[in-house]
Parts: sequence; C-alpha cells; structure tokens
Amino acid sequence: MPLDKPNRRKVQVLGIDAGGTMTDTFFVDSEGEFVVGKAQSTPQNEALGLIASSREGLEHWGLTLEEALSEIQTGVYSGTAMLNRVVQRKGLRCGLIVNAGMEDFHRMGRAIQAYLGFAYEDRIHLNTHYYDEPLVPRHLTRGVMERIDMSGTVVIPLREETARQAARELIAQDVEGIVISLLHSYRNPAHERRVRDIVQEEIAASGKSIPVFASTDYYPVRKETHRTNTTILEAYAAEPSRQTLNKISSAFKDNGSKFDFRVMATHGGTISWKAKELARTIVSGPIGGVIGAKYLGEVLGYSNIACSDIGGTSFDVALITQNELTIRNDPDMARLVLSLPLVAMDSVGAGAGSFIRLDPYTRAIKLGPDSAGYRVGVCWAESGIETVTISDCHVILGYLNPDNFLGGQVKLDRERAWNAMKEQIADPLGLSVEDAAAGVIELLDSDLRDYLRSMISGKGYSPSSFVCFSYGGAGPVHTYGYTEGLGFEDVIVPAWAAGFSAFGCAAADFEYRYDKSLDINIASEAGDDLKVRQAQTLQAAWEELKERVLEEFEINGYSADRVTLQPGFRMQYRGQLNDLEIESPILEANSAEDWDKLVEAFNDTYGRVYAAAARSPELGYSVTGAIMRGTVPIPKPRIPKEPEAGPTPPEEARLGTRKFYRHKQWVDAQLYQMEKLKPGNRVTGPAIIESDATTFVVPGGFETWLDGHRLFHLKEL
Amino acid sequence: MAYTKAKIKDLVDGKIDRDTLHNMLSTPKDRERFQIYLEILQEQVEWDDPIILPLGPKLYIVQRKSDKKWVIRSQAGHDFCDWDQNWKLYARVRVRSTPQQMEEIYPRLMAPSPDWQVIREYFCPLSGDLLEVEAPTPWYPVIHDFEPDIETFYKDWLGLPVPERA
Repeated sequence: MPLDKPNRRKVQVLGIDAGGTMTDTFFVDSEGEFVVGKAQSTPQNEALGLIASSREGLEHWGLTLEEALSEIQTGVYSGTAMLNRVVQRKGLRCGLIVNAGMEDFHRMGRAIQAYLGFAYEDRIHLNTHYYDEPLVPRHLTRGVMERIDMSGTVVIPLREETARQAARELIAQDVEGIVISLLHSYRNPAHERRVRDIVQEEIAASGKSIPVFASTDYYPVRKETHRTNTTILEAYAAEPSRQTLNKISSAFKDNGSKFDFRVMATHGGTISWKAKELARTIVSGPIGGVIGAKYLGEVLGYSNIACSDIGGTSFDVALITQNELTIRNDPDMARLVLSLPLVAMDSVGAGAGSFIRLDPYTRAIKLGPDSAGYRVGVCWAESGIETVTISDCHVILGYLNPDNFLGGQVKLDRERAWNAMKEQIADPLGLSVEDAAAGVIELLDSDLRDYLRSMISGKGYSPSSFVCFSYGGAGPVHTYGYTEGLGFEDVIVPAWAAGFSAFGCAAADFEYRYDKSLDINIASEAGDDLKVRQAQTLQAAWEELKERVLEEFEINGYSADRVTLQPGFRMQYRGQLNDLEIESPILEANSAEDWDKLVEAFNDTYGRVYAAAARSPELGYSVTGAIMRGTVPIPKPRIPKEPEAGPTPPEEARLGTRKFYRHKQWVDAQLYQMEKLKPGNRVTGPAIIESDATTFVVPGGFETWLDGHRLFHLKEL
Repeated sequence: MAYTKAKIKDLVDGKIDRDTLHNMLSTPKDRERFQIYLEILQEQVEWDDPIILPLGPKLYIVQRKSDKKWVIRSQAGHDFCDWDQNWKLYARVRVRSTPQQMEEIYPRLMAPSPDWQVIREYFCPLSGDLLEVEAPTPWYPVIHDFEPDIETFYKDWLGLPVPERA
C-alpha cells in the first residue's frame, strides 16, 4: 500500500482465541471485512502472544497495532487457560468449609465423575474408571455444626464457635481462598452468610488477605456437589485467570486501546473480566460458533439452525430453534459436575485428527476415540504420530493441499501418509490404498450423518425445517458428506468458516445471567390467593437476581437505566423430571393473572418443544428456578453485503486442478481460492475451495454458490 | 501399536501414567505384550528357569530347567508342586478363626464373624512372602483358584509354540 495514501480502514471488533499452541486474533472493520492473525501462544505471559498475533494480523491491512487499537470498540477474549488449569488440577490452594460430618463429600464426588468425558466403550468398561484428586484436599476441609433442611427450616442452629475454629485453622494453613458451601443454602442462605462473615472477621483479625467465596453468593442452586465444585472453581481457577486478563487488558491499554475486554461465558453472552462469576468463562471457544450462527440467523432470517463444527478431536452439534439456544443447567467439564448455565452442545469424539485402527479380531475399522489433535497425523513428519488419522486420508485422496495446510505453516507429506495407510489398513484388508482411505471417509461421513439425524429427530424435529451451518477448520471438508440425503432446508458454509468462533464471540451480547433454584408447586385447580403467593415468591427471586445483574454492570460503569432486563424461569409439570427454560412474557409477577401468563408461556413452549398433545396441565406446575438476564447494547461485527457478480468465478480465483478420489475413481477437481470468489459465483463439483485455515470440498453431484453475505450454499444436484 | 518394554515395566511395577494406562485398557492388546511381560518377570527373579505363566504376585508356573517339568514356584525359588495341582496344599498357612486374630487386621465390629467366615493366608515357606489370601466359610475346602489351559492359551491365543514339558 502506498505510504502517501492514508489508510481509511476502520477496525471495529477484535476477537481473540488463545489456544494452547496458537493464539488467533480476528479483526473486523466497519465494512465487515476481516483479517486473522496468528502467533505462538506464550503461556507465561499471554499478553505477549496476543500482541504478536495482533501485529501479524494487522500487517495484512498495513496497519500498526496502535492505529487499530485506538479505533476498536469491542474486544472479546476466549481462551483455554482456565480449563487447562482445572484439567491439570493446577489451581490455587483453597480451603473448604462444609457441614460437620460432610467433610468427605467433595473428595468422594459423584460417581459419574469417575468416567466423565470417556467414550461410550470406556464408560461401560469399569476398569478404566478412576477418581481424580479433589480440588480441595481433605486436610484443607473443615466442618461447621449447623443444619438447614430442604424446605429451608433450621434444624440445628449455627454453632458459631465451630465456624471460627474452622476459619482459624484454614487461615493458619496459608490457604489462598476459602470456599463455603453448606447443605440447602440455596433455600435458606442465613447460616452460610453468617459463616462467611465470621470467616471474614477471622481473616481480618489474622492480618492476612484471603478471598472468601460463599456458594449462595455465586450459585444458589440445588445439588451440593455441583454447587460446591463450581464455587471452588471461582477460588481455584478463576482468580488466576482474572490476573491474566487484567495483564492482557493493561497490555492493550498500553498500546492505545480504549475498550474494556469482555470474555465469552458458558451462557452464551460475554461478561467483563471484572465479573464476580468468572468461572463460567471456563469454556468459550466452541460456544462462539453457535452464537455466531444465531446472530447470522437473526440478521438474515434463519430461525431454525443446526450448527455443526468439526475440529481436530470432535464433531460438535448444537440446535437453534426459533432463534433460541438450549441452555443446559448442570454441565460437566474437566471431569467435574458443575452448576453453570451452558449452551447445550452435543459432541461425538470424531474429528479430523481421529486415529484409524483395525480391530485385530473382527477386522472392523475403528475411528478414535483418541486423536492426534493438533498434531494432524502421519502425514506431518515432525508430529511423531505413527497411527494413521482422518487427515491422512484427506491428504491421500486429494481433499487437502499438502503444501497449504494452515497457510503452508505445516508441510504435509502425502507419501508418508500413503505408506502408513497401506501398511496399517489397506494391506490387512486387501484393499487399494485409495479405496481404504475412501472407505474410512465414507464411514466417518455416515457416522456423523447418523449422529446429526438422531440429534435432530431425537428432539422431535425434521432436518427439512433446519438450515445446517458448517464451520470450523475441518467442518467444510465433510459438509457434503454429513448432510447428504438428510434433506436440510439449506446447507451453509460461511466463507470465514475457520474464524467463525472468533466471529461469534465478537457477535455475542454483553450479557450477565444469574440463576437461583426455587421449589414452587401448585395444583392446576389452585385458587387465586395461592397463585398470588407463588408469583410473589418468583418475583422475590427475580429481585434478588436483578440486584446482582445490575451490580455487575455497575462495576463496568453502566447505570441501571441502560440495562435491558429479561426475567426467565424453569417450569415443569408436577412430578415430571425435566424442566424447560422459559423466557418470561412479563417483567414482574405479582398477581394471579401474572401467574396465568407464566403458565400459558410454559404450555406454549412445551407444545412447541414436544407436542401439543403431550401437555399435562392436570398435573399442576412446578417452578424449579428463577433466571435473570441483563444486556447492554454493544457494537457487533457487520455481516458483509456485497453486490452479486455473475455465476462464473473470476479467472484469478482459479488455482489449477488436483487429483481427487471419490466413488472409486480419480477425477480432476477444480481448485479455487476462497477469498477470490465473488458473490453470485457458482461452482459445480468436483471442486475444492481453499483458504489458509479451511478447505471446502464440493464433490461431483454437488453445486455451491456464494451469496452477497459471503455464505456458500451447498446443494445436491 | 506396540508399547515399549519400559512402558510395560511401568505397568508391572504400578508406576504407569494414567493416559497410557487408559489407552491400554481401551484398545485391543498389542500382540507382543505377553512375551514382553514374561521377559520383565523373568528379569525380576533370581533363577533362570523359564516362566510359562504368572499365577499371581510372586507366584509362577515355570519350566524347570533340570528336568523340563512344569512346576509352581514362588519368587524366592520354592517349588510347591506340579503345575496342575493346588499349590496352596503345599504352602504354609495361617488361619484367622478367632475374634482376636481378626482384630489384628480389622477394627472391632468391622471384622467378619469367625463362625461365618475365616481368613486363610498362604505363605512361601522360604521367604515368608504372603502369596494368597482366601476368605471362605470355615468348613470350605482349600480353594483351587485357577487351572489354566496352557496349551490352548499358547497355541490358539498367542500363536506361540507350547513350551516343552516332561
């Protein structure tokens, strides 16, 4: 770019994905154009890698970091550091205060924690089960004498001296945080709050500074193992992350940024790094894609979306119905059961890095469950991998360009993959190498297809009412395979598929969400006075949560009048096991009419999610939880809108041809550069559309066209 | 995938890392595993008569070099009997059959009642190594734990020649 011309580009949004090996940055300008920066991660001081990655990305636009940062309005971070800290059990040294006599429940955990995250075969194979070391060891756990029952009634008053004693002993052991979690404190927080105050008094008296975390202040929800684990994570893992984010934020401020960093959280919104509940930012990457799809859907008018993403290790699917995400309330992560609202996503352990093996007894091809992850496969000589992977099949069959993997940063060796495939799979099966590799790909495609179909039909929907979004590094390689024959309304691959998660993070609302468990039960024929009482119980919970939402925004300088509040609740027919999350049609509930409106909203949703005939109002209703969400408006990335050119791709988009194998024959696939294709262009298979970080395969019998929003639509001919 | 001998030794010694162990448990057994396992066991004993099959910690079926007879032998080198006999009948035994004897190893009230259950401990007469414990009802005969079909195991499962037997 000539130096005498001022650079008119206005950078608006920065999305960050700080992974274990690479730190990606994603910049979006006011025209909706974007650029991706990559650099090696620097775990000692994450800010260094981030700055390097940003400089690298902005260089493509001829901008300096300082120029860009001064314009950016919004920056969203997602990273794996906190999750890694928990997975490796390398958090802070915390103390735990529970009920006297219950000191062992945390280390015993829930039985499911012995096999969480395992493949199905291992779950039913008891020998593989094991228990992790507890987050808080037994010698840092103390009991206090008190008991509140499940209705919130005091059964044993709090013996305050036991709380003092516990606090003193933990303080003397130099803990870096103290977590308090008493039975049924979500129902009646009085004792837990008193213990918290006593602990704080004792800390003050000792002259030390130790943060205190009472479960009722963070996650006032049922299930003590879930609640305790989650509150411990605040002390154990979130506090160090807060330091990291603080460092990153100041590093960017030093370079001239004016925005405040936000972090992607499990409930699908972004929150400030100053937020009280930071543990919910433990996973963020995969959610980004779902949020991105939801945002695109809202803007472009797709209300039912099946989101699909293939990474190195897994295939993730999430459904958006009527523009709504499903939220799961007790997810598990890092082999812990937790009480966090999490965007529901289903994963199957089959990704581009999945290992391929032959069962020595049945000769059946087995995919995964383990994978080479970022080490690709045998085709990458430096990886040290000896077992063939799905990526090796891609290289053998011409799906991937061995010289342009991750923009050429990693050179793949087709011959290595070929030889390994021949020795490990093809020869033992008496097949040619191409046919063995193609068979593996077909097997993977049909596995993924069956999984996607069962996900959708298992929830009572048909694929024909859904648009399928496919993104992620390897998603578009298999899009044709896992959607073929399912009859989706449309199949869409965004041209920025590889950076789609970062895009989604940038598109997420600035939103806090708080949850509280309730036990409201009401018969269908209940009178108005009872309805009024129940409405008021719910209202009281909303008030409590609202205060906390507003308090969080206050920390970030947003006054209450700028916050849009949306109450919600979880309801079920009495005696049923599963509740539904309902967005409340009213902002306050006080009267019997208000109550009826809540019930009506529930009945409507129930009829939509399941079937109208399955509704059972004669059972009466239970409200199991109150929810409060608050948002403030923030700038979001613009979705590109370009005028359509003709159907013929421009000459400069053509990259020549490559041999491509499918259905027992080699064909010449036309290669295209993804970024150079123009809206309106049509590409008929066999063709492969390449970009630095993703490859979109359009085999024979398929056609794709690029629309004005730079979305590819894939169609079976 | 074959594991290195060092990894298998870690497995035998109980020092293997969690990830490798999980992989071993959830994937089909590597072909060479049994032979490597035998090599490691052989290195851990002081005699050089070949081990045919381990029977338990510090207990093996070996092919005695001098006469090619298959015998059951302890780590310390005591030959109990022929390979297909119940070696426990030739071992030193202690039977815990009174509350006092039970309370040496269990807290009071957490031990079995000796009227219903006794504990029999079988020792190597040379070293005093505890080789096996059984907990049957008092009148129950000495249990013959395991009668291996070594011929089928070697020929059909491992695909190895059956060791010579006198």
